[in-house]
Amino acid sequence: MRITTRSRIKSPWLFHLNTGSCAGCDIEIVAALTPRYDVERLGCILVGSPRHADVLLVTGPVTRQMLPRAIRVYEQVPEPKVVVAIGACAISGSPFTGSQMIEGPMDKIVPVDVYVAGCPPRPEAIVRGVVTAVKRKYGEE
Amino acid sequence: MNTILILLITFPVVFFLSLLFEGVDRKVHARMQKRIGPPIIQPFYDFIKLFNKERIVPVTASSRIFTAVPMIAAAASIVGASIPIASLVLETGIGGDLILILYLLAMSSVMVMIGGSSSGNPYGAVGFSRKMTMLIAYEVPMFISILSVSLNCVSLAYYNIVSAQIGMKSLLAFTRPSMAVAAATFLLCIPAAADAVPFDISEAKTEIIHGSLVEYGGPYLALVKLAKAASNFAMTFLAVSLFFYFPALLEGYASVGLGALCLCLVTALIILLLTITVPRTVFARLKIGQAFKFYWLIPLALSIISVVLSTLGL
Amino acid sequence: MVDEFNEAKEIKVDYTRLRIPFGPVHPALKEPISLKVTVRKEEILDVDIRLGHVHRGIEALAENRNLVQTLYLVERICGICSHSHTTCFTQALEEIGGIKPSERALYLRTLIFELERMHSHLFVLGIMAYEIGFDTLFMFTWHVRESVLDLFEEITGNRVHHSMNTIGGVRWDLTPNLVEKVNDSLKKIEKSVNYIQEVFQDKTVEKRLCRVGVLSHNEAQELCVVGPTARGSEVNMDVRRDYPYAAYGELKDSFSVVLRDSADAYARTEVRILELFDSINLIRTILDELPNGPISKEESVLKLMRKIPEGEAISMVEAPRGELLYFVKTNGNEGLWRLKVRTPTIPNVFGLKPMLIGCEIADIPVTVASIDPCMACANRVTVVDQGKGKKKVINWENLRRRGKK
Repeated sequence: MRITTRSRIKSPWLFHLNTGSCAGCDIEIVAALTPRYDVERLGCILVGSPRHADVLLVTGPVTRQMLPRAIRVYEQVPEPKVVVAIGACAISGSPFTGSQMIEGPMDKIVPVDVYVAGCPPRPEAIVRGVVTAVKRKYGEE
Repeated sequence: MNTILILLITFPVVFFLSLLFEGVDRKVHARMQKRIGPPIIQPFYDFIKLFNKERIVPVTASSRIFTAVPMIAAAASIVGASIPIASLVLETGIGGDLILILYLLAMSSVMVMIGGSSSGNPYGAVGFSRKMTMLIAYEVPMFISILSVSLNCVSLAYYNIVSAQIGMKSLLAFTRPSMAVAAATFLLCIPAAADAVPFDISEAKTEIIHGSLVEYGGPYLALVKLAKAASNFAMTFLAVSLFFYFPALLEGYASVGLGALCLCLVTALIILLLTITVPRTVFARLKIGQAFKFYWLIPLALSIISVVLSTLGL
Repeated sequence: MVDEFNEAKEIKVDYTRLRIPFGPVHPALKEPISLKVTVRKEEILDVDIRLGHVHRGIEALAENRNLVQTLYLVERICGICSHSHTTCFTQALEEIGGIKPSERALYLRTLIFELERMHSHLFVLGIMAYEIGFDTLFMFTWHVRESVLDLFEEITGNRVHHSMNTIGGVRWDLTPNLVEKVNDSLKKIEKSVNYIQEVFQDKTVEKRLCRVGVLSHNEAQELCVVGPTARGSEVNMDVRRDYPYAAYGELKDSFSVVLRDSADAYARTEVRILELFDSINLIRTILDELPNGPISKEESVLKLMRKIPEGEAISMVEAPRGELLYFVKTNGNEGLWRLKVRTPTIPNVFGLKPMLIGCEIADIPVTVASIDPCMACANRVTVVDQGKGKKKVINWENLRRRGKK
């Protein structure tokens, strides 16, 4: 494996974007940092600014007010980037389908690489989703 | 010829060692929190990954300053860290190179600060003002303690202070009371210079989104992080070789050269763990007013006592 | 929309004042809220609070679904206090339909309620530690919280969104084996909470939390804040004691209402830590006095749903953040005419403005975390004027005036 590819797989930096979720998925993402699941042993850090990030973790159905902000944050993440949609809301918008306030699930707005299903998914599933996304996207380049 | 070769090798060695020190710091920090933590070579992966990302310069930034700052900061830090190492291996020095080392380390902090304010982000402006306050807070006691050391050894050359310890066959911090006080002051100033909790106020992640670093990404961020790592390494190495030069306790041949360098590095690692990792784990972050008051109360008083005791000959 | 983009980059010409946008996307905030803060050097002069980023139109969706589907929709208003929402909703339905759940069901509801209070308080204590830069305490508190989530998984099958409630009772029962496990876990949790209390009295933590975000007693009463935010300013209110629901009427002697008078962020943290001890006591009492009997009605939930006539009811519970109020109006045909939710974060968030003025920038995340905001709960009150297409956010004054008519 080339040294660049190996470094990209070994050090994915995460940025967490909440586009209007109920906070169930968000607390499971933060729980992935705690000692029981410890995502830092894989090299992941939760960074504060989208310009530092590689992996964008998106939760929530995209509400109308968060739509311009979600697009803006996506554009601020430098290439090569990975988008992981976490939870049922980000995958399909349910259980809020039919609402006027939802601009559609995330893959109508930005290209999504990996979907992690669950309401909310367990921290282990989130970690697996991040690792799969990173291996698939960077391994093939 | 030999000299030039050693000088050229020093720069990659400093690069390698400073990232290694950062890796050990992160690993020990994680273990103290009951976690496993990243592997020790993690900062190398981070550096290579960041170097290969897209270069984005924000529209609101003054692009020439914004792109030049990380390079100057990294260069200043690495040169500032290589001077002590090259001095020890080559066993020479020039008069006044202690001031040069401190100037280079301060310059890398100032450069990062300027880069933050040139980005056009309001968080960068807040980071700029906070870092300036912190610089005034910790640089003054640090310079005064170095002044007291040079008053004592009657020289401003780095190698002369080291060889004074070899001549006296004891560590400088344990020779006189004034030197012990100066050592304490210098060690107290290291957390602020290294931006470690409780003094990482200018780069608080949860308050001002990394302050000066908020708009830096990709290769620029890699260089800024390298500048910080090299600066931490330089500070701990300086603290060890000026105040706690252990090879001085060994006989003749082993007190200078490569063997002494390795012993110094091990001691520098221990000082790093004590002054950067442990406060990072057990304290909360202070506010800017509280940190400023702390630094102008205790370390400043200690450093002035040290100068007074030095002039009195104690 | 372009103006919104440029607004955040605008710096006012008065060079001593700087306008900083805090949120909606910020590492200190797990949920979006927009605070536009005007500062001079580090001192805050003015705060402009804007909600609405999490508005998903739940009340409008509820009018098109039947009652059982609404039960599962209402659970997802908030991930942290989901059991409080379902309890409130089923209580309102049971009042309209005249259905009385069995004693054992009420005790089990209370058990999960108190476990949820514990997990929510540990959550916010960890977030407060994270905001002041004390990562180690954040890791420790959330490690303790994992034990509580393990209990949830053993009893109900999921860590978050338990779906314990159903119309007329609860869905899962406790075996004697589980009762023993809960008791063992509680012993370990109590020891850890004692340690957390000690660490929160550390010098550096006190320096960050004391005299920060002060909300005086009068202001607290005027703004109608609720929950631990109010009890930290010595406002004596607790729904569990004033309007008992579920099994709290019989358990009156096992818990107390904790009040503090220093009214700063430290007082609110103390209130939450002491409430943790109270919850542990309550759970032990519930496990000792758990009555026997069935946990739900014999008829299926769909039959019960069809029996609910047209009517309206109000129900109140004490969620971990304060008083939660539901107004439910059924239409006798398995559906709803109207569902109105008033969550505790709505009045608490408007308490942010008097708290923040005069503080420093460094105090913003600490203050926001100390009122324990749950933005997902709070985004209920946007009114869209269909004719003119304008949006209007109703503030608390207008809400109270409308409620009095």
